Amino acid sequence: MILSPGKRTLEKLILTCTFLFMTACPVVAADTAGNVCVQCHGTLPGRLGEPVAQWRGSIHAANGIFCNGCHGGDPNDSANAMSPARGFLGVPKENAIPAFCGRCHVGVLQSYQASAHATAQGKEKPHCVTCHSNHHVVKASLDLINEKSCGRCHSYDVARQIKEAMAGVETRIGMTEQRIATFKGKGTDTSRLEQRLFAGRNRFHSLAHVVDVNLITKNTAEINAELDAIDGALEDFSKLEGKKKIIGAAAIVIVLAAAALLAMYRRTYD
Amino acid sequence: MGVDDRRKFLAYCLGGIAAVAAAGIIYPLFRYLSPLSSQLESSKVTIPEGAVREGEANFFQYAGSAAVLVHHPGGALVALSAVCTHMGCIVQWQKDRQEFFCPCHGGRYTSDGAVISGPPPRPLPKLPFAVANGIITVG
Repeated sequence: MILSPGKRTLEKLILTCTFLFMTACPVVAADTAGNVCVQCHGTLPGRLGEPVAQWRGSIHAANGIFCNGCHGGDPNDSANAMSPARGFLGVPKENAIPAFCGRCHVGVLQSYQASAHATAQGKEKPHCVTCHSNHHVVKASLDLINEKSCGRCHSYDVARQIKEAMAGVETRIGMTEQRIATFKGKGTDTSRLEQRLFAGRNRFHSLAHVVDVNLITKNTAEINAELDAIDGALEDFSKLEGKKKIIGAAAIVIVLAAAALLAMYRRTYD
Repeated sequence: MGVDDRRKFLAYCLGGIAAVAAAGIIYPLFRYLSPLSSQLESSKVTIPEGAVREGEANFFQYAGSAAVLVHHPGGALVALSAVCTHMGCIVQWQKDRQEFFCPCHGGRYTSDGAVISGPPPRPLPKLPFAVANGIITVG
């Protein structure tokens, strides 16, 4: 079929837009399409399908951790997806949950095992899911420590003290994270600072699982020193940004001056 | 001022601007291509050879990041970045296993920095070092 020049232009425009859209699409959406766990369970009703919807809004989904990341199995083979031979673990028993999550969150597990939560006497010890939920795991924040949640098992007094001890550092971490995101949005390479902040936050949050106010207070100075170093690097970015603005303005002035001088030079030949 | 003088003056001015523009292009290129000798010199770290016993690891700060020097049981030394290549946490030394372990997501590395298991996508980067007169100089 021979297309008219106008239609050809339209065709090119559509192809270009499609290419740009596809390259800008989130990776998670593309990966989900090939994941048999999500494909099958996502269509099921009730308790077999709910985890998929909950997982979609989780930090695991945001970071590309799929069902097999925790439950094992083969997400590329529907016939053997839940085969123990392919590493399928299924749902852990209640008392096995800390070890189940702790395969990846090892630092948190170490801290938890030293905590009053893990060493509590009685049948029902609080574990990861008690506070973080199972499939809808969101980014950990101080909002997880609240009277309603902690009050299910004990008084809120100690939990309040822990929250207050963590609040200052947590606020600083949030502010630093925003500053890094601002620079990242402007095209600055912030990957190293993001890593340093992640490492610092992770260490601080892991320690919080010991649920010991003294330990948190003791480590506050250390994490603050790390945040100071990150803030220093961000200040350097600010200074560099200021310099770039001055250089940019100077370049514009020079170009305008050159254009004016060139026009005058040309006139000398008239 | 005659036309020739005027033309000459304007040519000088344009030449000056062209020189400034050329410098503005060449200087960043020169800075990018020239070695960072002063920066590297200031980031060098010296450790006495006897400070790291066989089978142990000594952590230190190098160029603003955590680094580690390992003394293998055979006597060989290796200097590595101690920053996990997964998400940037600081790895820990497990003496009994002679391995590095990341407390954030369980990444494991050999004492040479090679990935054993877990999410790290790359080995721990090796750092240059030299031993002279009982002093180990990293960097």
